[in-house]
Amino acid sequence: MPACSRSDGQHHGPWVTARPWLAVVLGPLLSGCGSDRVANPVADAGLAVELRSALASTVAATSDTDAAESGTGWGSLKGRFVFAGTAGDPRALVVDKDTEVCSKDGAKLLDRSLLVDASSKGVANVVVFARKTGRVRNPVPETTLVFDQKNCEFLAPVFAARVGQSIDVRNSDPIGHNTNIAGSSFNQLIPAGAGTVYKADVETGMPTMVTCNIHPWMKAFVVFRKDGYVAVSATDGTFTLPDLPAGETVELQVWHERSTGPSGALGLDRPDLKWTPKGRFQVRLEPDEVKDLGTLEIPASALGI
Amino acid sequence: MDPTNSHHRRHGAALIATLAIAASGCGGVPPAWFRPNMVESTKQRLTPAQESQVATVMLALFGTPDQPVAMPETGLDQAKLDLAAGPVHSDVTGKKNGLYREHCAHCHGVTGDGLGPTAAFLNPYPRDYRPGVFKFKSTERADKPTRDDLVRILHNGIPGTSMPSFALLSDTQVDALVEYVKYLSIRGETELNLMRAFFDLDDDAEGKLPQAREFLVDEMLTPVAEKWRAADDARIAVPEMPADIDLAASIAKGKDLFYGDKANCVKCHGVTGLGDGQANDYDDWNKAIVEIKKEVTGTAERARETKTSGMSAEALAEHRANLAWVDRFHHVLDGDAHRPRTIPPRNLRQGTYRGGRRPLDLYYRIHAGINGAPMPAAKGTIPPEDIWHIVNYVRSLPYGFDGELGADRTTTASTRDRF
Repeated sequence: MPACSRSDGQHHGPWVTARPWLAVVLGPLLSGCGSDRVANPVADAGLAVELRSALASTVAATSDTDAAESGTGWGSLKGRFVFAGTAGDPRALVVDKDTEVCSKDGAKLLDRSLLVDASSKGVANVVVFARKTGRVRNPVPETTLVFDQKNCEFLAPVFAARVGQSIDVRNSDPIGHNTNIAGSSFNQLIPAGAGTVYKADVETGMPTMVTCNIHPWMKAFVVFRKDGYVAVSATDGTFTLPDLPAGETVELQVWHERSTGPSGALGLDRPDLKWTPKGRFQVRLEPDEVKDLGTLEIPASALGI
Repeated sequence: MDPTNSHHRRHGAALIATLAIAASGCGGVPPAWFRPNMVESTKQRLTPAQESQVATVMLALFGTPDQPVAMPETGLDQAKLDLAAGPVHSDVTGKKNGLYREHCAHCHGVTGDGLGPTAAFLNPYPRDYRPGVFKFKSTERADKPTRDDLVRILHNGIPGTSMPSFALLSDTQVDALVEYVKYLSIRGETELNLMRAFFDLDDDAEGKLPQAREFLVDEMLTPVAEKWRAADDARIAVPEMPADIDLAASIAKGKDLFYGDKANCVKCHGVTGLGDGQANDYDDWNKAIVEIKKEVTGTAERARETKTSGMSAEALAEHRANLAWVDRFHHVLDGDAHRPRTIPPRNLRQGTYRGGRRPLDLYYRIHAGINGAPMPAAKGTIPPEDIWHIVNYVRSLPYGFDGELGADRTTTASTRDRF
């Protein structure tokens, strides 16, 4: 530790606490020159030594993971997200560059972080994906998906693809963009009218943000999953996850851009589905079953409204 | 004797004695420790028990700043780490140890978190190695730098920043420091993995990470180390610039690309090339803090608007937990993060090139972009010969300033200052 490092302020003895005036004199001396920091979490040194020798042994430990349940057949899961509050009108984004393209004919770009269908109250762009499954039905499709941008807006506010699937990142504008996927090191210049192919090599976990650094208002989210068990709710709030493995308990993760839950996890009050504050619930499907969860109500508070 | 006076004198003596102890450091310097990534642990809302669990695993996997551990999976050389680690001292032969703390720690921090004592006064801030992202390298954007890339930075320093040249150190010493930077980076990225793993735990794990080697080493550490091992094979293949290239024509083509909609350099580097285009963006390190601040502010605002009367005990507990979290995060951001700063696009008229001034260096920057920065990659959408034209144009910018600002664009005071 350098002499003048930030101190965690843990070195005051009992001496000082008994004499407040001393604390005033000694405080700055003992706590060094930085600001006070949150106390350091303490490691258990003894446990660390044991753990190190255990980890050094390359002999595989006896695995205590229970044999994965294996069922047969496939089922589908569907449902519909609706908003139980008042969303209000989406605000207009500040568009201050390339306005001849980005706000063509006075068109306004709107904040799409919460899209509620006026008639059905359906919430679009809720993401539902399986956390892990024992079996996967379909191989990665050969077809190329298109992730396009036009009029300085990503056409899909939330975009899902499989790991390893080809994605044509396109720019249908007459001006240049760059497409920057947070946490992926993908940040590619996309010239006017051009495109480039991207294949995700790892899962995203929760959806991750996509931006254009040239036009800072441009924003979308992408989610990449190995097994492809991911759905994005449509304008009317409906989603369908087909071909889920039947005969095993599948845990699903739910996300929404505006959710106040951890990392955007959408927690709903649905004890019947064992819905947790981490935005997860479980289902168990029978072969060829189409399980309809019906209406899943999102309270305004879950989105911080 | 006046009792008050004696009382004062006793206090005076006590004060002198105490000050002497304080000045001498209370009997020895406490051993150096690695600072856990408090921003991430607070962001992930880890409990104190979970923070301790991460600290224990990190101690087991990586040791301490005085006694670093290189597990075989890291691919690191223990002897090199030993040379760089620990307090500054020389052995009987005069061989120096503690090189990292002598040369690097005051800016990059003992932990490699870019939070050394001098860091807050520098612009740009020193690199935080923990996310494992490095800017100036010969590899594709998503890949780690090669060992030679890091050696080059230590030799040359980074012009335009506070990073000096360490060309006076011996090759062995530079080699040891490079190894130690890799160690700190692998360590920091593994720690991030561990802290983020809590969210992915199944509920029946009761908030505890598995202790099995398959998880801690194979899932958390090895993938990070593998990326470092793969770096040497991830070098960008650069086709040579044709030797008989017509330089004037190449510069003219580069200029068209610079201003055109294909390469679009003008949008950020500005019509003047002074770096005065899109200038209110952040790099990934600063953006992370900006995003966290938004989240903290949002949570604080919602908590303020919450009416607690008639609340269920459960909701009240959650409300209080939110308030405590906001309070703690303010504290953490104060002591464990820098105040965010925007990243200005490079002023290309200055002739200062942070990642090196060779045409090849500029080719790498344009081909792969700059990892961690808004600068995007031209790879794939701009053919190599066009990249060379842009390189040639950019290299001409510091020399010519003959009215290129354009009739519709006069220099303002602030752009003049930057020039």
